[in-house]
Amino acid sequence: MNERVTLAHGAGGQQTTELIDRVFKAHFSNPDFTADDAAVLTLDAGRLAFTTDGFIVSPCEFPGGNIGKLSICGTVNDLSCMGAKPLYMTCAFVIEEGFPMETLERIAAAMAATAKEAGVRIVAGDTKVAGRGQVDGVFITTTGIGRVMETANLSGSRAKAGDAVIVSGDIGRHGCTILLARNEFGIEAPDVKSDCAPLWSTVEPILRAVPGIHVIRDATRGGVGTVLYEIAGQSRVGICLDAASVPVAPGVRGVCGMLGLEPLYLACEGRIVIFAPKEFAPEIVKTLRSCPGSEDAAVIGEVTEEDPGKVVMLTEIGAKTLLPRPGGELLPRIC
Amino acid sequence: MCVGISARVVKIDDGTALIDASGAERKVSAELLEDLEPGDYVMVHAGVAIAKIEGPSGEETAKLMEELNNEERTGDH
Amino acid sequence: MKSAREIIDSYDGRPLRIMEVCGTHTHEIFRLGIRRILPPGLKLISGPGCPVCVTPCGYIDEAVSLALEKNAVICTFGDLIRVPGSKMSLASARSLGAEIRTVYSPLDALELAQSDPDRQVVFLSVGFETTTPGSCLAVRKAAERGVKNFSILSANKTMPRAYEALKGSADAFLYPGHVSVMTGTALYERLCAEGVSGIVTGFTADEILTALAAIVELSRSGKPFFRNCYPRVVRPEGNPAAVRLMDQIMEPCDAEWRGLGMIPGSGLKLRDRFAPFDARVKFGVSELRGRDNPACSCGRILRGECMPPDCPLFGKVCTPAHPAGACMVSGEGACSAFYQYGEKIDE
Repeated sequence: MNERVTLAHGAGGQQTTELIDRVFKAHFSNPDFTADDAAVLTLDAGRLAFTTDGFIVSPCEFPGGNIGKLSICGTVNDLSCMGAKPLYMTCAFVIEEGFPMETLERIAAAMAATAKEAGVRIVAGDTKVAGRGQVDGVFITTTGIGRVMETANLSGSRAKAGDAVIVSGDIGRHGCTILLARNEFGIEAPDVKSDCAPLWSTVEPILRAVPGIHVIRDATRGGVGTVLYEIAGQSRVGICLDAASVPVAPGVRGVCGMLGLEPLYLACEGRIVIFAPKEFAPEIVKTLRSCPGSEDAAVIGEVTEEDPGKVVMLTEIGAKTLLPRPGGELLPRIC
Repeated sequence: MCVGISARVVKIDDGTALIDASGAERKVSAELLEDLEPGDYVMVHAGVAIAKIEGPSGEETAKLMEELNNEERTGDH
Repeated sequence: MKSAREIIDSYDGRPLRIMEVCGTHTHEIFRLGIRRILPPGLKLISGPGCPVCVTPCGYIDEAVSLALEKNAVICTFGDLIRVPGSKMSLASARSLGAEIRTVYSPLDALELAQSDPDRQVVFLSVGFETTTPGSCLAVRKAAERGVKNFSILSANKTMPRAYEALKGSADAFLYPGHVSVMTGTALYERLCAEGVSGIVTGFTADEILTALAAIVELSRSGKPFFRNCYPRVVRPEGNPAAVRLMDQIMEPCDAEWRGLGMIPGSGLKLRDRFAPFDARVKFGVSELRGRDNPACSCGRILRGECMPPDCPLFGKVCTPAHPAGACMVSGEGACSAFYQYGEKIDE
């Protein structure tokens, strides 16, 4: 087989079949993976969660993962944050002509491994090849369906004054990793890897341990800061963060210090923000810390009645100031 | 105007220093400083090491606070 | 022994105006919430310490024209990317096909030029004495290596003349920490002898609060004072190698400060023998003058005569997303900091 993806691979003929069989089916094979136009599934009655997500990250491979792993985690985590056990997924690829086959195999292998880890089955897929320069490497879109736990009643509009705000680990790692992987600034941080991870195995235990959680949202593009503003807006509440409690890994801090960046606005891909009545916070944090990847879980603030729609920081000198709202592109501040 | 970060010099090679700021590493110009050794701490701004840092943080503020308190006590205005 | 906080909290003397002249001080003071803990008698004013804010609007126009008309690769600090010119920002120019690259160091721009000899690379050289030596290093190396496709568009400025222009705007200054690393402190001793008080300090909460406490205490006598609250980085003699380098590569010129107007001798331009690395000479760029909104109060704000909320445009027509003037334009500008950190949060 060729070393690179060609337009023929997308033409629908023999080469397409070869590509699908040898790269995708070889990795995604499971009893529900359809050979037909659509996968037909039987699901028990109840509430279902259904979501879709597109992935265009560049570079497509980075410390801690690749675009394939990301594409599974993103959708799995969206479902998990609604309290839904991820069941089935589809994935659609648009691949740039000339894309290396070996890289595609690594991406597919990562997707298979992550899907297995998350307990989710990929049941249908699609592949298209676009001309050189029409996409940047490979774009992946995934959809996912999951069963919502009976006791889960999660929504961005349910945060209430008095809730604790909890984050499941140190922040900004994925955004920092991608920034460094693009190598525009010549900075290296050997200990900084993407936090990209499937989170149902973290969400399920806390939903079982604690009833009455109000919001779980995964921080992705825009980081934890963006999630906080979203929830403050949706729930029409204020949020007061304790700056000293926000966990940030040393390498991320160093990079942000050099470039004048705020870690709260760097992307995460394996972190959830939880809003729950204060009295449940210790139990939630304890459960999180016992899950791999969430050892640095911490309470970082609380929900207030004052300043609805605003996120306020309690700074290291004990003063209250606004966390600047999320802006557009995150730009380094040098001079 | 002056976003700078303090960093440890890991190694120096012909006017270029590899610095480490709590795990973030970068090569910067060391051409504006003399007698730099691995293990020294420098202030880094825009890819240039601009000063060697002498002494731990907090020492000079403590000294200044002492001076201010002495001035107040002795009524030496 | 009283702590810095206690000294500040207990101040009940005559109103003291303290002006900080470093964009990074502006940013940190707001971020740490230092303004929130000051007693009514202590007024913190942000002066013209943000090099992006005081760069004339026409500079962006020059950069955009170099990118779109002369097909140059523009390398710039991230701080400049969203600054609006008369017609568009560098970010908008990018969406029209201009090649605009964010760099961390002017030396990266030189490296880019060397790795791509077929493209003309222009570095947007803004900044005060902290940043200027980096640009000078890049030009010196370009000359030594005979690089033909690298040049800088200079808008570098120096602080000493600005202090002259600001005399009387404040009772004491917080001098910029890292500019002082380069220049040393002789200037501040001289200003003190002329009756101007100030303290050089660093950027941690501890350093800034100690400096404010020192200003409170030392102001009691009515005698002018100067202290170095950042001696582990700022030496009296500064960085002689940096000073020599700046003198070797650049020379003083008159410069326009957005919001303050022309300040003679406050700018830096490349010396004639480095003309091949001067983008204005190389590309025949005429200095373009933009026009500021007449209702914009930036000039008065930069001189400490009024605060951002006093400007009729603040928060309405003029916001970080749509800046009308100098002080809203950069992440370290006074109006931007006021807006972003919610200085009206109590209302």
